[in-house]
Amino acid sequence: MSGLYGSLSVALSALLVSQQALETSANNVANANTPGYSRQRTVLTPGDPVVLGGLSIGTGVLIQKLESLRDPILELRLNQETQNQGQLDATLGALQQVQVGFTGTDSGIGDSITKFFDSLQQLSIDPTNLSLRQAVLTAAGNLATNFNTASHSLQAQSTNLDLNVVQTVAQINSLTTQIAALNKQIANLENVHENASTFVDQRQEAIRQLSSLIDVSVIQSDSGITLTTSNGTALVAQDRSFQLTTQVTAGGIHKVLAGTVDITALVTSGKLGGLLDVRDKRIPTFQTNLDQLAAGLATALNTANRAGFDLNGAVGIDLFVPPPVGGVGAAASLSVAIADPALVAASSDGTPGSNGNLAVLSAVRDQAVAGGKKPLDFYSAVLFQVGSDTANALADSNASQLILRQLQDQRASVSGVSLDEEASNIIRYQSAYQAAARVVTTVSTMLDLAVNLGKD
Amino acid sequence: MRVNPNLTPDLLAALTQTRQVTQDALLQLANGRRVNQPSDDPAASAILVQNHDQIVFTSRYLQSLGSIQSQFQTADSALSSVIVSLQRAITLGVEGANGPLSDANRAAIATELQGIQDQIVSLGNTTFQGTPLFAGTKTSSPPFVKDTASPSGVRYDGNNVVNSLQIGDGYQVAANKPGTQLFVTAGHDVFQAISGLITAMQTNSGFDTALSAVRDSFDYISSQRVFYGNVLNQAQAQTTNLGNTKVQLSQQENTLASADIEAAASRLVNSQAATNATLAAIGKISQLNLFDFLK
Repeated sequence: MSGLYGSLSVALSALLVSQQALETSANNVANANTPGYSRQRTVLTPGDPVVLGGLSIGTGVLIQKLESLRDPILELRLNQETQNQGQLDATLGALQQVQVGFTGTDSGIGDSITKFFDSLQQLSIDPTNLSLRQAVLTAAGNLATNFNTASHSLQAQSTNLDLNVVQTVAQINSLTTQIAALNKQIANLENVHENASTFVDQRQEAIRQLSSLIDVSVIQSDSGITLTTSNGTALVAQDRSFQLTTQVTAGGIHKVLAGTVDITALVTSGKLGGLLDVRDKRIPTFQTNLDQLAAGLATALNTANRAGFDLNGAVGIDLFVPPPVGGVGAAASLSVAIADPALVAASSDGTPGSNGNLAVLSAVRDQAVAGGKKPLDFYSAVLFQVGSDTANALADSNASQLILRQLQDQRASVSGVSLDEEASNIIRYQSAYQAAARVVTTVSTMLDLAVNLGKD
Repeated sequence: MRVNPNLTPDLLAALTQTRQVTQDALLQLANGRRVNQPSDDPAASAILVQNHDQIVFTSRYLQSLGSIQSQFQTADSALSSVIVSLQRAITLGVEGANGPLSDANRAAIATELQGIQDQIVSLGNTTFQGTPLFAGTKTSSPPFVKDTASPSGVRYDGNNVVNSLQIGDGYQVAANKPGTQLFVTAGHDVFQAISGLITAMQTNSGFDTALSAVRDSFDYISSQRVFYGNVLNQAQAQTTNLGNTKVQLSQQENTLASADIEAAASRLVNSQAATNATLAAIGKISQLNLFDFLK
C-alpha cells in the first residue's frame, strides 16, 4: 500500500479524523452550559504501519476513542458534599422559620411573662382597683395567646416539613427510576463496546441530584452501578430501582419506608435527613420546652391564686385552665380560666384592700417552674437554643457552600468545557483538514502527471 | 494547569454574598439594632430578654415609689393636722385645769373639744385616691365611725393588717399604717383621751389624769409619725438607686443590641464597592473568548 494511492489513503484518514475531531469540539461547544456534561476529547492513534522492503511505512491516523474527562474521586467528594449541603440547607431553612416565633424582646413569650408579673406589681399598689385587676387578666390572656401562637407556629412548621418529606421521597423515587433506566442503557451500549459517555454524564448528574436529597453510597461494579443509603437500604441495583414509600403515622406525620422497613430514623443526610431531623427532633424539643414552661407557669400561678382571696372575700380559684396532665399540648391549649377581674385573688386574708397574695403570685417569677429554672430564665435558655441552633446551621451551611463551590471549581477544571480551548482545537483541526486536503490535491496533480506521462 | 473555564457561578456566588452583606448593613442602619433575630447573637438575645424584664421592673418599682411617696405625704400631713388638734386640746385642758372657770366656760371648752374629736375622726378617715389610709386593708368603708355605744365615742371598723409593697428585687416596705397603730392603740387611744378630757370638763374633776392621757396620745402619735419620715427617706434613696440601675440597664441593652452605626455604614460602602466590582467582572468575562477572534 505504498505509492501515490497510499498517500491518498493516508490523506483521506487525516480528513476523516479532522472532521470527527471538529465534531467533538462542536459537541463540546454545544454542551458548554449543560449541567453535569463532561467535555470529550477525540483520542488519535497512528495507523498500523506496513513493512515494505524493510521500510516501516505509516498508514495515516485513526480514532482510538472518544474520551470523557472526569475524575471519579472528585465526583465522589462532590456527591458527599452535596449530601451535606442538602441536609444543612433543609435544616437552616426550617430553623430560620422556627426562630421567627421566638423573636423580639418587645413581643413574644418573654415579654408577655414580664408584662404579666409587672401587672401584678401595679395591682399591689391599689388592690381594689378594678381596671388594674382587668389589666392583670389582660396580661394573663396575652401570655396565653403568645404561648398558643408560638406552639401553633411550631406545629405549622412541622406540618410543612412533613409535606416536604413526602415530596422529597417522590423526587428520590423519580431519580432512582431514572438512574436505573440509565444503568440499563449504559450496560446495553457498553456490552456492544459503544460509547455511553453521554448517559454516564446524565447518570452522574442524577446521582448528584439524588445525593442532595438522601445519603447515597455508590458501588461500582462491572455490570453497572448499585446505589444504597449509608445504612444499606438499596435504592438502585443495576437496572432495577427500589421505591421508598411514605405512610401516615398515628401522630399525623409521615414515616419513610423501604419495602416494609421503617427507615425514618436511619436517614441522616441529604435534604430528607435535614427535614426529618428538624421535624422529628428539634421542633419536638422546642415544643416540649414550651409545654413544660406553659404547664409549670400555669400550675404555679393557679396554686398561688388559690392560696388567696378574691375581691368578694371568697377563696381564690384557678387563674388558668389547668394544663393537661403530663404537660403535652399545654402551650397550645393555655387559656385564662376567669373572666371576672374581681376573681383575681389579691388578698391574703379576705379583706379587699389586702395585697398579701399578690406577693405570693409575684413570687412565681422567682420560682423554679420548669426544668429547675425561673420562668424567664427557662425561656431565655430556649431562646438561646433556638438562636444558636440556627446560627450554627447558618455557619455550617456557609462553610459547606464554600467547600462545594471549590469542589465544583475543581470538577469544572477537569471536566468543564473551555470555549478558548475548543476554539483553538477547531483552528488546529481546520488547519489539519486544510493540510490533508492540500495533500489530496497534490497527489491528484501527481496522479494526473503520471496518467498523462508520455503524452504531448 | 487547566483552570475552571466557567467563572460565572463563582462570581454569582460572590455577588450573592456581597448583596447579603449590603442587606444586613442596611437593616442595621435602618433600625439601629444589631440583634434582630436570635441567630444574630444567641447569647445576647437571651440576655436581652432578662435585661428587658429588669428594665420593665425597675420602671415599675419607680412608679410604685412615686405612688407610695404621694400616699405617705398625704398620710403624714393628716397626722400633722392631728398633732395640731391635740396641741389645741392640751391647751384647752390646761386652761380648764388651772382655771377657776365658770360652768358655761367649761361647757364651751367641752364643745370645742368635741369639735376636735370630730376633726380627728375626719382626719383618721383621710383617703388617698378614694382609699382610706388608716383602715388597714379593710378599705371598703371609712374606718372611724362615731358610736355612742363605744366608751370613747368612736368605733374602729378597720383591721390591723399591713400591706407590703415591693420597691426593688427582694426589697419590700410597709405600704400602710393601720388605725390600730396610730389612733386606737391600746393604752394610747386618742379618742378615749379626748373624751376623758371632755368628761373632766363637764364634771370639773380629774383634769390631771385626763390631761396626761391626751399628752400621752400626743407623744405617741408624734413618735409614730417618724415611720412615714423613715419610709419616705428610704423611698428617696431607692428612687436614686433605681434611677442609676435603669441607666445601667439601658446602657447594657445598647451595648448588646445596638448596631455600630459607623461600622455598619462602612460595611455598606465596602459591600457596594465589592458588588460593583463583581458586576463589572461578570460583564467583562462574558465578552472575551477566542471565538471572537476567529475570522
